[in-house]
Amino acid sequence: MTRAIEAEHLAKKYLIGGVKEMSYRTLRDSLGSLFRRRGGAPARETIWALRDVSFTVDRGEVIGIIGRNGAGKSTLLKILSRITEPTSGLARLYGRAGSLLEVGTGFHPELTGRENIFLNGAILGMRRAEIARKLDEIVAFAEIGQFLDTPVKRYSSGMYVRLAFAVAAHLDTEILIVDEVLAVGDVSFQRKCLNKMEDVGRHGRTILYVSHNLASITRLCPRAMLVDAGRIVHDGPSHEVVRHYLHSDLGTTAAREWPDNATAPADDVVRLRAVRVRSGGAVTSKVDIRRPVDIEVEWEALEGGHPLVPNLHFQNEEGLVVFVTADLDPEWRGRARAPGRYVSTAHVPGNYFSEGTLVVSVAVSTMDPVRVHVYERDAVAFDVVDVLSGDTARGDYGGQIPGVVRPLLPWTNQLLAPAEMTR
Amino acid sequence: MSALEQRPIVIAPSSGWRPIDLREVWEYRELLAIFVWRDIKVRYRQTLLGVVWVVAQPLLTALIFTVLFNRMAKIDAGNVPYSLFIMVGLVPWSFFSAGVSASGNSLIGSSHLISKVYFPRVIVPAASVLSGFVDMVVTVALVVVMTLVYRVGLGPQILFLPLAIAVAAVFAFGVGLWLSALNVEYRDVRVVIPFLLQLWMYATPVVYPLHVVPERYRWIAAINPMTGIVETFRAAMLGGAVPWSALGYSVAVTLMVLVSGAYYFRRMERLFADVL
Repeated sequence: MTRAIEAEHLAKKYLIGGVKEMSYRTLRDSLGSLFRRRGGAPARETIWALRDVSFTVDRGEVIGIIGRNGAGKSTLLKILSRITEPTSGLARLYGRAGSLLEVGTGFHPELTGRENIFLNGAILGMRRAEIARKLDEIVAFAEIGQFLDTPVKRYSSGMYVRLAFAVAAHLDTEILIVDEVLAVGDVSFQRKCLNKMEDVGRHGRTILYVSHNLASITRLCPRAMLVDAGRIVHDGPSHEVVRHYLHSDLGTTAAREWPDNATAPADDVVRLRAVRVRSGGAVTSKVDIRRPVDIEVEWEALEGGHPLVPNLHFQNEEGLVVFVTADLDPEWRGRARAPGRYVSTAHVPGNYFSEGTLVVSVAVSTMDPVRVHVYERDAVAFDVVDVLSGDTARGDYGGQIPGVVRPLLPWTNQLLAPAEMTR
Repeated sequence: MSALEQRPIVIAPSSGWRPIDLREVWEYRELLAIFVWRDIKVRYRQTLLGVVWVVAQPLLTALIFTVLFNRMAKIDAGNVPYSLFIMVGLVPWSFFSAGVSASGNSLIGSSHLISKVYFPRVIVPAASVLSGFVDMVVTVALVVVMTLVYRVGLGPQILFLPLAIAVAAVFAFGVGLWLSALNVEYRDVRVVIPFLLQLWMYATPVVYPLHVVPERYRWIAAINPMTGIVETFRAAMLGGAVPWSALGYSVAVTLMVLVSGAYYFRRMERLFADVL
């Protein structure tokens, strides 16, 4: 086997000073520090986004990278894409490398579809001649047909995304680094892109693929790596790594808290403080399928005058969104929130979810016009377990039950006619 | 596959002062070209008047300056009509000033690209300067028309025109390298740029001829590298001797700014994605 990627002891340190992360300064700050005594400057905290990461990838391998938010997956991809430098360590890439950390990077709304194909292709590292050669294929893949010479600002969002994907899907560098780009677009087009990527994988190309969609990881990637707190904690066959992820504390965290203003998800209006899963009053990551589950969001309104609406997105372990719910509490609906700390709780009834892991993403938004103030993807997770007590929707059946939800429905029966009368 | 592609890409922390990797920049020449092409295309597509605007803007500016300095302040440009004199000064100045301003803000403007894709960052300010060429060529054509109208004959000294333009472009790029890298770290550079350029224009013999400057202020023009560039441009368009010593000084300063800017840019480059 030939080597494609070698990473040795990669580490990345970020400085967190005051409020903003490794942010720009103003001249006044710098000039000010000239006159300030040494040590008077605000203490800068360092955060190791990645530490001592070593691994090797052979040519033609397709590897999935999983881990919760902030684990260091994106930092790893950014280093391997050469967008940011490691603080220490070394990596070698053998062959042309391309990265898709986003689709449609550099798309300009004023330019036509054709012009954007060339622009975006060049940004991704494709040669002009190569793009020209693949133009027909890209256009066919994107299904944009007669709109090729229309400025993309007139495209529907679906067309826009398809075009962006089509260019990305035709990037055929020997090493491809992909970050979660398949999270948008309609389902059938996603499928098409996954298939295209599988083709790419079969052609002996090396792919590193980061995704929250565990099902697509197990389907596409024979091997996976689990990243947590800046380290690779698991590396092996993807179904094993995914299982490990789901059954560890990494996959199911019943409570997340952000006591520190610097790290709490926030904008000018809202700051997220904590998200908790409660069942029977206690914070728990194991929920009895029969019991109600409360998702508790603790947050701060930093600025008055906004009718803020906390909302939750429930996803199952296949990445399917089970449902979305927004706070419609009549007492607060449409009312501007005074600055202060709030706890908003969504009460999900018992006998509702299927067995398995549910991952909850949390947002606080304003609805009209829509503005998402904070959004914490995969904030908390919990396992729904059926204790096989016979009084659940499972009844006395012990096998696998498909389905996204598993409500315990009332059934009624009527004996229309006794048996002897039907003869 | 070329030998270059066989070489592994080594990713490691860099430190200190390194030169710009010219071979790598050459590898990415197509991206540079496409950035320039994008800037030009978008600029002319977005404005309804397009080229008309490119012509109207310097003409109106020249008109205002003529009224202000010639009619009201009674400054005389010698044997050349004042409006033509101003136009000829404004062309290299506007080219330089637009180049500095666009390249100085270019990295901030491209922060979205920089945080998502790798390419040698230096092509961003370079593209900003290069995309100003179209406007410049249009205004040069306008000046040529004016010289014909005013019957100020174009002579063989027009051959020095590309030289003046080249020095102006490289100088704008050098200053742009410094400002764009500084701009990433210190956001108030963005606010300083227009002010700096305005002051700089009045310190350059653009709207007034050098000979009206009192003796004790001549040193300002002498240390200003734009003086040699604007005066050479004027000599090329209107006839007259090329100010070789002033131009030589401009070239020397340009090279110094370019090289130091390239090293500074390269030193700051590794921080761009983390800061932007």
